[in-house]
Amino acid sequence: MEFEVETVIKIAAYGGGGIAMGLGAIGAAVGQGYTAAKANLAASRNPKISGDIFKNMLVGQAIAESASIFALVITILLLFVRPPSPGLLDAAAYLGAGLCMGFGAIGSGIGAGNPGGEACFGLSRQPEAGSQLTTNMLIGSAVCQTPAIFAMVVALMLIFIKFGGAALTPTWAALVGAGLSTGLAAIGSGYGGGLAAGASCEGIARTPQAVTSVTTLMLIGQAVAQTPSIFGLLISFILMFKSFPESSLLMTPMALLGAGLCMGFGGIGPGIGNGMAAEGAVRWVARNVEHTSDLMRIMLVGQAVSQSTAIYSMVISLVLIFVV
Amino acid sequence: MGEIGRLSQLIIPFFGYNITINLKVVAMTWLVFGLLIVLGLFARHKRSILPRPIQALGELIVSLLYDLTEDALGKELAQKYAPLVCALFMFLLLSNWLGIIPHLEEPTRDLNTTFGLGLIGFFIAHYAGIKTKGFKAYSKEYFQPIFFMMPLNLIGELAKIVSISFRLFGNILGGSIIILVVSYLTLSLVLPPFLYAFFGLFVGTIQAFVFTMLTVVYISVQVK
Repeated sequence: MEFEVETVIKIAAYGGGGIAMGLGAIGAAVGQGYTAAKANLAASRNPKISGDIFKNMLVGQAIAESASIFALVITILLLFVRPPSPGLLDAAAYLGAGLCMGFGAIGSGIGAGNPGGEACFGLSRQPEAGSQLTTNMLIGSAVCQTPAIFAMVVALMLIFIKFGGAALTPTWAALVGAGLSTGLAAIGSGYGGGLAAGASCEGIARTPQAVTSVTTLMLIGQAVAQTPSIFGLLISFILMFKSFPESSLLMTPMALLGAGLCMGFGGIGPGIGNGMAAEGAVRWVARNVEHTSDLMRIMLVGQAVSQSTAIYSMVISLVLIFVV
Repeated sequence: MGEIGRLSQLIIPFFGYNITINLKVVAMTWLVFGLLIVLGLFARHKRSILPRPIQALGELIVSLLYDLTEDALGKELAQKYAPLVCALFMFLLLSNWLGIIPHLEEPTRDLNTTFGLGLIGFFIAHYAGIKTKGFKAYSKEYFQPIFFMMPLNLIGELAKIVSISFRLFGNILGGSIIILVVSYLTLSLVLPPFLYAFFGLFVGTIQAFVFTMLTVVYISVQVK
């Protein structure tokens, strides 16, 4: 059975759109539920300020929603944007974009629920620190969206850049692999960043004077936790912009697809692990401000060690792309 | 939508190699340099005990960054590295904010800028490490925990440059691509100003801070 090019593109776009929105709906919903649960706990602890807690919960949930909104935007684009000069590579690019955004929204959505919930809970413990808590929650959950933003950028590039001139056979795998690499790697980093942000809200509620050290350490911890998703972005860029010679072997596209999968899955664990390391350090800086520099050093060394598996994945991906 | 990934380049043939210069990025970088120098001159012009607003702003920036460096590196090294940290932060901040002005572009949107800054930070950190610990103790660290971990430790160090430069580049480029696409879809109505405020001012400030702090932290990890 032969399909026309337009039909293949439509199949890929509808499939990709479904994947993007379906997977993209997972994360934010879980995160928002966590925020709401913590807000209920907080309100029952300190019912006098339940109005403030309610407001804070809504703001936190609105930010946690943004990852799903990115997925919605990509899905709408996939459903309605069509390339001016259709080719089979566009179909691969659309599928890749859908996978990228769908997976990429999971981690940030779940993660962004953490600071929202902890800020609500902190509000019940320390109502005077309300404005600091809200500011910190906003910064923390905005930074924890970065992996989802990376996924959205790769998805937009896959949709809008024209790959028409490239050789079909290995390039289709490169485009799908590019989507998988950033999308999967964003899961761990998004969730890990959320852990660090949640711990910082808890810490500020405990010791409002420590706000500067806590926020600084949170930002550093989140930035390092994002490193696996940055490696994923790097592999995606290489897969999208390197031009591959035409090849009829099955091995070449498989290697490129494997490179994307390797970096994507390999980035999940280090992202979460780095987030846990940051969570521990940030939580305890609030209780022990005078030892900030020791805690930071231990956090960074620990993160570097737990990051090494992401580096192995990156090395193998690069080998798959350039050597095999 | 052809603007995604387009660059204005000057290509000079040079003994069989092509030297490529991204003209707009260079122009924007010089613009940021100019703005910084003007700001600096104004801040130190007619200094007095009762500071004028611009002098107060300059003192605020310098003292905040000086304190941050001192917290991470200690008193002695802070005197040496604080000027670098101040300059790096202010350059990044102005660069990231530049995009909110129409027709101007963030120099940090180009990977060459961020990669260059990452390289500078990397070399300074390792120079500081060698200088404080001595070459022997410094090179010993690569053979921890066992000697055959050396290549992976080396790759891990080099991956730091990739991660620090791609973090800034990805955030700024990502913001500008999202703004471009959303403006195109909404016919530039309502949404773009908020996106500029978020990606230009908010994300730009946070990423400038993160880049600067990571550079300081890399130095402090090498020194201790």
